[in-house]
Amino acid sequence: MTTSSDQPVPESSAVQTEMLGFLAKRTGTTWATDADVFGSGGLSSLFAMELVVHLEKSYGIAIRGADLRMENFRTVRRMAALVERLRQPAPGGSGA
Amino acid sequence: MREPVAAAASAVTELVGDRASGWDRAGRLPEDLVRKLGAAGQLAAQIPTSYGGPGWSSADNGEFTAHVGSLCGSLRSVMTSQGMAAWTVERLGDPAQAAELLPRLASGGTAAVAFSEPQAGSDLSAIETTVTVDGDTLLLSGHKKWVTAADYADLILVVARMDEGGAVVVVDRTAPGVRVRRVADPLGCRAAGHAEVLLDDVRLPLTRLLGGGRQPLSLLVTTALAYGRISVAWGCVGILRACVAAAVEHAGSRHQFGRPLGRHQLVARHLADLWTAEQVSTRACEHASRCWDDNDAGLVPAIVLAKYVSAAHAAKGAAAAVQVLASAGAQDGHVVARAYRDAKLMEIIEGSNEVCQLILADHALHAVTGSRT
Repeated sequence: MTTSSDQPVPESSAVQTEMLGFLAKRTGTTWATDADVFGSGGLSSLFAMELVVHLEKSYGIAIRGADLRMENFRTVRRMAALVERLRQPAPGGSGA
Repeated sequence: MREPVAAAASAVTELVGDRASGWDRAGRLPEDLVRKLGAAGQLAAQIPTSYGGPGWSSADNGEFTAHVGSLCGSLRSVMTSQGMAAWTVERLGDPAQAAELLPRLASGGTAAVAFSEPQAGSDLSAIETTVTVDGDTLLLSGHKKWVTAADYADLILVVARMDEGGAVVVVDRTAPGVRVRRVADPLGCRAAGHAEVLLDDVRLPLTRLLGGGRQPLSLLVTTALAYGRISVAWGCVGILRACVAAAVEHAGSRHQFGRPLGRHQLVARHLADLWTAEQVSTRACEHASRCWDDNDAGLVPAIVLAKYVSAAHAAKGAAAAVQVLASAGAQDGHVVARAYRDAKLMEIIEGSNEVCQLILADHALHAVTGSRT
């Protein structure tokens, strides 16, 4: 599998690998880092919330407010970019 | 039950006393009761302490919700709405919105969440209520139906369409262009303040758009309903607990054909099924709350499972309880008569049985093959 051209952050590629594993385990299908997981034949919107919860728990981040956009979850690469951004020291954001 | 939860539970028992049946028949809760519980933070006890709330876990709040549900289904419905509004703000709002709104909701302010419309019930992708940005204000128009607790609410969180996506807009009940009309004579939870909300070119500041809006509609709805569903599920546990207590008391004390009703095998079966229903529903809810508190990725199916199992058991169990009490419970206002009507509504709201079945089937199709852990 080739890595992305736009955001080849090493830390982020570890997130990508883990997320590919999570998706494969939960869906029984292999995904590419730039595959649209919610596109045709893809996952239900209910799964989007599962993804949100998984990302929060796995990476100790809080995905709230304006970050809850489908663009942030559409591909593994974008999920990794979101994790990367939110891992920077963030204000507040208590857990459930 | 943890000490603060147990203390809150006995305080509510005292507050409600024997008045729930009167509230049911009148179709109204006393306003001071709602405000009092709200001021104690107990209408939405999961609001974090950093926002002035009690900061209870889902497991604690669930037990408390079941307790309130065993006393009065209408009051429990108001709690569900308030908690869902708070959760929606916490999840979808930006930090400034959370800092403004959550302390209000933890100190006596009331709120409801408006999803359904005349043409959009189970299919919320069909909602027509629309919010647009007009200069430096929001413009909101639409028609919401069956908004639980809206008649008691200061704030109504309106799920709307915004460009290609969705948005949740926080609307003051007193804003010009907002009309709230009570639903007359609902089948169940008669005092829960169900209302229609009419929004006619309502102008609001941009800050009333949670998280800036334009989020995927389905994600907004799934997020808000996550709280609503788990709360309804625990409420159903409460319905079942009230039914078990009433049926056991009656079957143990009333004699027919020379022995207690409970010693007649056909009645005993009702008691066994009722108790089983309460236990199974409790376990399903405990599991969902554990997933919530652990932020487990299996949270979404666990919540739908709890809601589906508990609502179906509550509807069947309440019918069995009425059967056991027979003429003794066949009067409006009686605890099992209320349970019977309230439980039927629980099979409809926050995702009907059939919608839950579709979600669970979809989960099974997509996920179970991948992992059974």
